[in-house]
Amino acid sequence: MALLRNSALQGTITPEMEQVAQKEGVSPEFIRQKVAEGKIVILRNTNHHNVVPVAIGDGLQTKVSASVGLYGRNTSISEEIAKIKVAAEAGTDAIMDLSVSGDIDTMRKEALAATSKPLGTLPLYQALAEASQKYGSSLKMKVEDLFEVIERQAADGVDFLALHCGTTMDVIERAKREGRIDPLVSYGGSHLIGWMVHNGKENPLYENFDRVLEIAAKYDVTVSFADGMRPGCLADSLDGAQVQELVILGELVQRTREAGVQVMVKGPGHVPLDQLKATITLQKSLCKGAPYFVFGPLVTDTAAGYDHISAAIGGAISSWAGAEFLCYVTPAEHIGLPDKDQVRQGVVAARIAAHCGDLAKGMPEAVKWDLEMSLARRELDWEKQISLAIDPVTTERVWKERSGDFSSKCSMCGQYCAMEIVSQYLGNDKKHVC
Amino acid sequence: MTQVLAARAGKITEEMEIVAAQENVDVEFIRQGVAEGTIVIPKNKKRDRSKICGIGKGLDIKVNALIGTSSDRDQMEMEARKLKAAEEAGCHSFMDLSTGGDIDGMRRQTLSLASVAVGSVPLYQAGVEAIRKRGSIVEMTPDDMFETIEKQAADGLDFMAIHSALNFDVLKTLQKTGRVTDVVSRGGSFMTGWMFHNQKENPLYEQFDRLLAIMKEYDVVLSVGDAIRPGSTADSLDQAQLKGLMVAGELVKKALEAGVQVMVEGPGHVPLNHIETTMLLQKRLCYNVPYYILGFLATDIAPGYDHITGAIGGAYAGMCGADFLCYLTPAEHLGLPTEEDVRAGVVATRIAAHAANISRRRQGAWEKDLEMAKARVALDMDRQIELAINSDKLLEAKAEDDGDQTCAVCGDKCAAQVAAEYFGIA
Repeated sequence: MALLRNSALQGTITPEMEQVAQKEGVSPEFIRQKVAEGKIVILRNTNHHNVVPVAIGDGLQTKVSASVGLYGRNTSISEEIAKIKVAAEAGTDAIMDLSVSGDIDTMRKEALAATSKPLGTLPLYQALAEASQKYGSSLKMKVEDLFEVIERQAADGVDFLALHCGTTMDVIERAKREGRIDPLVSYGGSHLIGWMVHNGKENPLYENFDRVLEIAAKYDVTVSFADGMRPGCLADSLDGAQVQELVILGELVQRTREAGVQVMVKGPGHVPLDQLKATITLQKSLCKGAPYFVFGPLVTDTAAGYDHISAAIGGAISSWAGAEFLCYVTPAEHIGLPDKDQVRQGVVAARIAAHCGDLAKGMPEAVKWDLEMSLARRELDWEKQISLAIDPVTTERVWKERSGDFSSKCSMCGQYCAMEIVSQYLGNDKKHVC
Repeated sequence: MTQVLAARAGKITEEMEIVAAQENVDVEFIRQGVAEGTIVIPKNKKRDRSKICGIGKGLDIKVNALIGTSSDRDQMEMEARKLKAAEEAGCHSFMDLSTGGDIDGMRRQTLSLASVAVGSVPLYQAGVEAIRKRGSIVEMTPDDMFETIEKQAADGLDFMAIHSALNFDVLKTLQKTGRVTDVVSRGGSFMTGWMFHNQKENPLYEQFDRLLAIMKEYDVVLSVGDAIRPGSTADSLDQAQLKGLMVAGELVKKALEAGVQVMVEGPGHVPLNHIETTMLLQKRLCYNVPYYILGFLATDIAPGYDHITGAIGGAYAGMCGADFLCYLTPAEHLGLPTEEDVRAGVVATRIAAHAANISRRRQGAWEKDLEMAKARVALDMDRQIELAINSDKLLEAKAEDDGDQTCAVCGDKCAAQVAAEYFGIA
């Protein structure tokens, strides 16, 4: 089967392109052209049979991704699968299985079967974990082991692979030289750096990048460049190490596209409000318009316990500025692993951010959604307000808990509802309240 | 003498000293800002309280919490608990928006319990009492309005939202151009109803001098109420809003001339792409006095999560010049907030304010984030707890922590540990 990107380049509109075009309310030709330009990626592995393809990129609605995964002895596959279901219910567009321990193969297979959402993984974790089992130390992982895991995961049907291809020795040395405050913020990146330093070897994902491309091409997996040097605090944002890694990723974007493989780039992290637009502009310029998948971004380091809010602020402005894919942040960030409720909160907060960005960009669907909600509000149509809400379940619960046992429809204003009072004079409604 | 008149006379008041010390700026900067009207210090002459703050240009953004009874729920004791929760969460002021039960008693309770500035919307009480006394809001007399304002000022309120910037000119524009959500301000709706019913101009606009005399007597900060604020993103920056803003500007000028401290209230629902323009227009049309905003809510579609939509809009607006953020709770659009909602609202708004402070002033806020980052690298949980905007979740995590630091990927020999050693942070 031809690669999606190559089909697009040859002028062929594939069924996947038709499918996502319909969902997004754009023409298939628009999708084809942007896939050809590399500005849109369609997540779907040819081996992921139950997947509903999702398109991410320029001119499309901003998407969100939720991360789950096995981590240490207090996690179980069934619990993580339950989180996937919660995230899907809450409206995530994609899932990442970031399992680092336990039966990672089974977890991934169950995750792929459990959802029709595209699934991403970070194969380095499994390669390191297996090396630790096999050789007694993750530092003894062989390059061969890493590629074997990448291939295994791709063959299973993973739709996008997160790979730290740009975290080179040069980049690491710069981070050290410049005195980065937090050089170990990327979990996978930190381990990779340790492996490189210990073995005195260049990053195998960079050195053997053609092998990455071969595997990705075989299954039409989208490559998602992970950033080993994402800023982990405001003070590290847009430092030399981050920018240098981005320069390298820009070069690799070019090579990936030439190989007919779809590619997106992962980014921040912690970014001060006034550096968000610059961060996106820089990525767009250096990576030639490749979709930008940003974690958060968090606009302060001090909101532990509430980082889904900090991330919603940064995510909304980033989405407006051109980031097309938001990796959720849960209230458990910087504290521990999220439970199901925190997964839900993380997805909803990221979706709010994505929507605020789309609204600011004037995307017709987003504008229409806000308008319909406000019309329902004006009509005091509670059923409709609930059904239009981004999280109808929570909206209905909060409304019932806060207002359900009172005589008025809404206890906020009680009898003195502004909408109701004014509608007597400005609207058609003749309800008498005064 | 009001703070403004003192400042213009070159006099540095005790309140200016306190604000300068808090903000780590020269007291002359504060005096000058107060004299020009770019900074206000809400502090009623009649009220003593422990915490003073300044609001305006060059200062950290402040956060306001709303409390108060409604006709559906008038439990003063619950409002007292909400007040305590909001202060603990770090709000800088309250507005008591009571419309139910014993409104006088409720206000006096708020004034006595709060250690921060307290504001109100006197038109609520005037309107509700008009229903009780005369059978309808629209039967309220101009004297009812001014007497309520005077009574509340005498009780010690530090700032008051007063819907003076609404007149027939604004309403005609609204009728001509149309809107999705006409008037979402409750005070604005009372006044709109009153004006149409009585076919009379807004007394708070017409007799603005009478209002200024009261504000001046007690040195109450006049917060020009935003009767015509957009209640949906579709209405943002429409003709009616701009008309209202221009009227507010006229009134600001008069207030400044009269030696009254003044700020202007703003939206409401504003999409991200309108925020910078909204801020610029307000500053330009209202003589750079502080801008006090509700939200902004960056979208209409998230009832149950409006503390988050408000944090998104508030942070960006703060970066663009908003000085004072009124919180939103998860109960916004759905009901009267509980104690837990109030806490969530204050925390979300403080996150927005802090993120904006980092961008607008670097000083102070930036260092705090840097210290937090260093505490994280050093795995110093106690220091993180000290530095967090709200430490409740960190404290819970600390209590549950079993101290096991074994790497989930690598076991004992952790690759990331090698990296840490390389960077000299092990």
